[in-house]
Amino acid sequence: MNRHQVHIIPMKSLPNYLQTQRKRLSLSQEEVGFLLGLAGMNKGNKVCRDEKFAREPSLQDALAYEEIYGLPVSELFAGLYQQAQQNVAARAKILNFRKARKPDVRKQQAIIHLAESASINSSNQ
Amino acid sequence: MIKHKTVRILAIAPLSRGLGYSVMEGPDKLIACGNKAILRHKNVGALTWVKKFVRFYQPEVLVLPDVNATDTRRAARIKTLHRNIVAWAKQQQIKVRLITNTQVRMQLLNNKQGTKQAVAETLAAKFPVELGTRLPPKRRPWMSEDPRMDIFDAVGLAAGYWPKAK
Repeated sequence: MNRHQVHIIPMKSLPNYLQTQRKRLSLSQEEVGFLLGLAGMNKGNKVCRDEKFAREPSLQDALAYEEIYGLPVSELFAGLYQQAQQNVAARAKILNFRKARKPDVRKQQAIIHLAESASINSSNQ
Repeated sequence: MIKHKTVRILAIAPLSRGLGYSVMEGPDKLIACGNKAILRHKNVGALTWVKKFVRFYQPEVLVLPDVNATDTRRAARIKTLHRNIVAWAKQQQIKVRLITNTQVRMQLLNNKQGTKQAVAETLAAKFPVELGTRLPPKRRPWMSEDPRMDIFDAVGLAAGYWPKAK
């Protein structure tokens, strides 16, 4: 192994980066609420709750955020994505220990790949 | 293998009007910045805001100005607030890093004698989207300091935390 190889360990991300991206575009919460298609007088309130991690937006809202801010959902909701990744990988480890009735190479490879990503991510945080 | 851990830092600049804050996740990634004006019970109010910021952004390092450095003259109230923030951060097991004005100027301007305006202009050029519109006009001798300068003080502290790129 190359001794001078630099490996950057990612930190635990914030649940979402919606506020940062909104300010980058200098949009108000009310305007983002309108773009999301929220109804009612206080459109900005839901956006505010999303930004303060008080509410997890629906899949439709998350995709709308992706469209508004031009960033993939996995980057906008980096913390949630990391958490989901870890949970899936932890379950993949359990699945890997189960004995399959019919051994399938492709399935086995996919499970091992998911489980390995779990061990990498958990050691990083 | 050399391992570098990227960290999230929260820089707090306690000032006479309140405080400036900034959050960074690397030398080029400014997550949030702003200022909070506190009118009454300034030290209590400022410490409450610091606690709120720490709870929200969950920083790994808290960056503060070194108020006891030889190149700094700060009011007794700000020194007390600084002590309170450091004590609270230690209680919460958050790393505290103190940065002097000279360090910030050397990091951003390569010049110990640089002015606050020069630091602010450098930061506005580095982060044009986030800070470009917040750059105050150059202060004239008869003018008070613009409140927006608090933001640049905090971002300068955060920028001073990262080692200089070679």
